[in-house]
Amino acid sequence: MAVTVGQGTPFVVLDEGDRIVEVGTSAQSQFGPLVGTVIWESFPGSEPLFKPYYDKARQTREPVEFVQFYDGNVARVRAVPNEDGLLELHWEALARLDTLTLGSLAETLEESLELLDEQEAGMHRARVRGALRVIEGGT
Amino acid sequence: MSHAFDALRSSAPDAYFVLDDDDRVLHVSLEFHDTRGRGVGHVLWDHLPRAREIYEPYFVEARATGQPIEAVIFYAGRLKRLLVIPGGDGLAVHVENIVELDVTSLGTLTRSLEQVATALADPGSAQRDSRARASLRALP
Repeated sequence: MAVTVGQGTPFVVLDEGDRIVEVGTSAQSQFGPLVGTVIWESFPGSEPLFKPYYDKARQTREPVEFVQFYDGNVARVRAVPNEDGLLELHWEALARLDTLTLGSLAETLEESLELLDEQEAGMHRARVRGALRVIEGGT
Repeated sequence: MSHAFDALRSSAPDAYFVLDDDDRVLHVSLEFHDTRGRGVGHVLWDHLPRAREIYEPYFVEARATGQPIEAVIFYAGRLKRLLVIPGGDGLAVHVENIVELDVTSLGTLTRSLEQVATALADPGSAQRDSRARASLRALP
């Protein structure tokens, strides 16, 4: 996969136990108060979505880049293991789900599905579209 | 007042607000105090972006016919049951959240979308999950 994010300051840096040890300037407002905590504790349900990629980066000692959906947001994440045994995370927001109305939900959900990796989105795409069709016909 | 009307009122969701003829909020029930309490005296649409196109047709119909209107709508990530009751003291809008979208992951979102679809297919038997009940104090 082509590397497109993460050339500058990391968003967040994790230690080997996924504890936040450093936060970039752009992430201070959200992650600054979380320094010293395990990242999964502050973001319920996120561990199975992100940790496998982080583990892979640590094991291979190579950067891993992926696109993930979490908490209504789609982001491109680049996990870079450094020489200190830490994992630098670079983050680029790509899309946000707008659940205000059915129209905005359908539109932004389609955008989100298009951004996600085929393997990840493929499992859900047909079910999501099927449910949306029923919903749009029923309200 | 007919027995049917009384029965409808008694079965109405506890969370409600009352509007005047200009859609200005006259009163909110205890369940809405936290989220809509500050809206009393204000026009409903001023604080609910894009809500007008969704809610207003039911308000217009209830006022025009003088009859209660029931509807299922989707707004702000929630499927809701509306019961709109016109009266001399204003238009009472009762709201019950049936299903709330869970956007944690694509998996949870898919499941909650399917719950919405199921609820729309058979609203009477739709399972009211605890999250939806807990969110009754959220935006109408």
